[in-house]
Amino acid sequence: MDALAAYSAFNRELARGVSTAPPAELVGLTRGESLRYPRLGIYTGGGSSHSWLWLAEVFERLGFYDLKFLDAAQVGAGGLAGLDVLVLSGGDTFAMARALGPGGAEAIRDFVEGGGLYLGACAGAYLVMRSSKEPLNQFNLVPATISNLSKILPRALTLPEKYTNAYGCDYVFHPVREAMLLQGQGGPMGQDEFQAPLYGGPAMLPADEVVEVLASYQDFTPGTRFLAPPDLAAETLLGKAAVLRGRLGEGTLYLFGPHFEHPGFAGANRRLARAIYQDMPGGRAKAAPEKADQLAGAGAKALIKAIKRQVSNSRITAVSLEDHPARWLIGDKVYEPAKLRVFLEAIWSRLRPLERASGLAQVPGAEELPDLLAGVTTGIRALKRELAAEDDTTARAAKLFQDLNRAAALFLRMYFASARLGHLDPPAARRLH
Amino acid sequence: MGVKIDPLKCTACMACELACGYHRDDAFALLSSCIVAYRTRDKKDYFGVILKEEEDLIIARPEGLEVKRIGAVDESQGEADASAKPMLLREACDLCEDRDDGPLCKQLCPSGAIYLD
Amino acid sequence: MEFLASEQIAVIDLASGEVTEEEFTDELCQEKIGGAGVNLALYKQYEAEEPVVLGAGLFTGTMVPGSSLGLMTAKSPLTGTVVHTPLTQYAGMELKYSGFDYIVIKGTAAAPSYLWIHDGIADIEDASGLWGLDVWAACDKVRADMGDELIQVLGAGPAAEKGSDLACVMLNYWHGGDRFGLGKALAAKNLKLIAIRGLGLLEIAEDEEFVEQCVELIGQVKSGAWAGKKGLGDLGAAVGENGLADWLAPVLHRSRSDFNTPFAANSFLFLEGDPAELAEPANPEPGVLLAGLDGALGLMKLGLTVAEAGDVALACAKAGLDVSGVASVCAAGGTTEAGAIIAALEDISGPVEGLAGPFSPWTPKQSVFADFGSGDEWWTRRQAVAHIFGLDPLFVLMCPELTEEKLLELASLGTELEFSAEGLEAVIAEVAG
Repeated sequence: MDALAAYSAFNRELARGVSTAPPAELVGLTRGESLRYPRLGIYTGGGSSHSWLWLAEVFERLGFYDLKFLDAAQVGAGGLAGLDVLVLSGGDTFAMARALGPGGAEAIRDFVEGGGLYLGACAGAYLVMRSSKEPLNQFNLVPATISNLSKILPRALTLPEKYTNAYGCDYVFHPVREAMLLQGQGGPMGQDEFQAPLYGGPAMLPADEVVEVLASYQDFTPGTRFLAPPDLAAETLLGKAAVLRGRLGEGTLYLFGPHFEHPGFAGANRRLARAIYQDMPGGRAKAAPEKADQLAGAGAKALIKAIKRQVSNSRITAVSLEDHPARWLIGDKVYEPAKLRVFLEAIWSRLRPLERASGLAQVPGAEELPDLLAGVTTGIRALKRELAAEDDTTARAAKLFQDLNRAAALFLRMYFASARLGHLDPPAARRLH
Repeated sequence: MGVKIDPLKCTACMACELACGYHRDDAFALLSSCIVAYRTRDKKDYFGVILKEEEDLIIARPEGLEVKRIGAVDESQGEADASAKPMLLREACDLCEDRDDGPLCKQLCPSGAIYLD
Repeated sequence: MEFLASEQIAVIDLASGEVTEEEFTDELCQEKIGGAGVNLALYKQYEAEEPVVLGAGLFTGTMVPGSSLGLMTAKSPLTGTVVHTPLTQYAGMELKYSGFDYIVIKGTAAAPSYLWIHDGIADIEDASGLWGLDVWAACDKVRADMGDELIQVLGAGPAAEKGSDLACVMLNYWHGGDRFGLGKALAAKNLKLIAIRGLGLLEIAEDEEFVEQCVELIGQVKSGAWAGKKGLGDLGAAVGENGLADWLAPVLHRSRSDFNTPFAANSFLFLEGDPAELAEPANPEPGVLLAGLDGALGLMKLGLTVAEAGDVALACAKAGLDVSGVASVCAAGGTTEAGAIIAALEDISGPVEGLAGPFSPWTPKQSVFADFGSGDEWWTRRQAVAHIFGLDPLFVLMCPELTEEKLLELASLGTELEFSAEGLEAVIAEVAG
């Protein structure tokens, strides 16, 4: 059994309330408190990119099925109540801050001060670091700054659109992408070396001694892709913090420069799980699982078939566009046609278990999925025609990604709720097809 | 060393795509292949092969080979090449590193259109 | 059937508009193996409702050399008997990956309809916008509407709508091997076309061993007598029609293969522009694909130049008429001038002499290139094997390495079921009539 499967087996027992021996690497991790099953919230709202889908993927592999998918409005409207952990992954930091607004900022602060665990990767890390810039200044939760900031922008070697973002009069620049070698410096990160991928995330500098460095950038790897000259990349990254831990009130914040939730990096995934076990709120009564009504029989089959029909339609056109050279600048992020498939595959790859499930959890909004996805089908087909006609498709693409994001969040909510009800087999054999 | 394609020998049989799909999925499927028979211009009898490598997209068509540096800056246009992340969900060619006999697409190609160089 | 299959049979009732799914069971596979064996069993099961049955062979879409074949089983308007029409090029492969192993189409639609088969979903769609269109326009429209140029279209043309006995099932824009008038059978059901696209996956029971044997087989096949030859010209020479290559030469463009079929049998005739020019032509419709030796020879023997023959073949393709049948009827009626033939296509019909048996006579009735069999009995058995296992009916005539023993061995490896020579014998006897 590989490490993630061991976590998954352990978590399934925890979810049932069964006390069982944890995986060896968790023993002694939680300051004497017993491990319990966490309830996690994943931010899917404005500013988030597709990387939240990686979170869903990795949490599924780890057996964390008690997941809630939250948009910005939900964060600000009490949606964090009852959560142990809130995770914000990659995207457009400024757009995220704008979407969350002062209400969202306050909700996140209250959540952490009340004992919640905040995990921020990439944009989710930038968001809560010290900043005087509007609207980020509402989120000053961790006294830390970044080293990948410059007043003069060095020339990009490649991928200029991935290289930099304006930050006031300065530039946040991203000297490399892909796999980096990290050095664990204690706590859940351990003391050894491991890899995690960097996609625009920060190299960090703690600005207060209460902020702990849990891992640093140790070296480049053969898979590292240089966007800036190697000497500048080394100066900017090596030895700087890749993972920070800060405390606020009763709670804890983790800031990850790299994407520890990337499904291709099991070592980083395990450390993410260890961070959750170690610093999720202790001492609370186990949160009661969310109640969900069940849908079974013909109604359940009809719903899944209606979803499948539209995802198939959309996916067929999306595959035909995957080598199309179009690109769209949506907010601060560049999107390509190939990314349409990323959202669609997140749904498609989970349809087969639901087709075979004895029942579905009935979650609010799931009944809208067929119509929402039918709109996606219409939109993708129209997009293809408009691309062929060389029309401006930016608005069309922005709406499509927004709808796909919403559809994927709704679908995954139903999927994980069904998994919690015990209707699904463990996901070991899921594939893209 | 890499997989090379002679587009004039290709007969669009898709054996390469099938081979690569098996290499990726341990099953017969075409969605993960990094080598794809290009066959959407059926009425023109125009076909070829697209290969995704780590850094390049190789487009082998009857006119010849076109190599697109993935994400490279096009100096003449002053902007990035349009192929920033083509075939995002397909992994780049790894020359079937787990096979002693080398790339399966080469072994299966019946016309000699695929070779190593 | 878990392996080399999608485990699903669709039963489509055009009269009621209902689609139901049945399981493709191990038992049915064990008894009838696949392709024509299963098609015929399903045909008999629904015989009272005049079904058209689509199916793929056991190896269609797999790594077995020549794995291109799908088939349509129905009563031929020309012979009045049950026939198996080959679906070659990419149609069989697409059907295999469509999420259905077999599709039974029964009843007659109240209004013009088409079927959209995709990823295990069978949709009956309104064809009022397609009815009356020629084959090419209908194919273009359905591909544009559904957003993918790789959709495989089994189409009935205007000739089928008018009830011509020579109306064949077209494969996208081109002729395949239908000599039985099954385009008319589709149109009689008010069915304009069947559009198929599947992004599926076929599991293999003993995948490493199966693939290893396929690789070994391909190694043997590659050095076969067919090696170095391609197109209808070489095929003609192999059966004593030495003039065909020279006749084709002035307009011959490229030769191309059916799916995973080593010999490139299909020859494209460039009717406008320089056939030696291989760059992408500006003209969107520069010529026509000839996919059958009998059709090419039929036109040549009418005394037409190859350019005139190309014009006739193109007109037949758009009308959805079998070139071979047209040549045969024109020869019998003394119509031998290209313009007169094209004018006659408007209301041409049968009968066609020499049609007998359940397999299309579009392939030569002898072994090709290699000398390993001849005669009606040998040819019929070889066709039966091709139609059961899903192998190209022409390639099996040039590939002695594809023995029945080897195919049975691969069948067991691929499916984990036991297949015997006696079982195959029984299925051959049944499908060969």
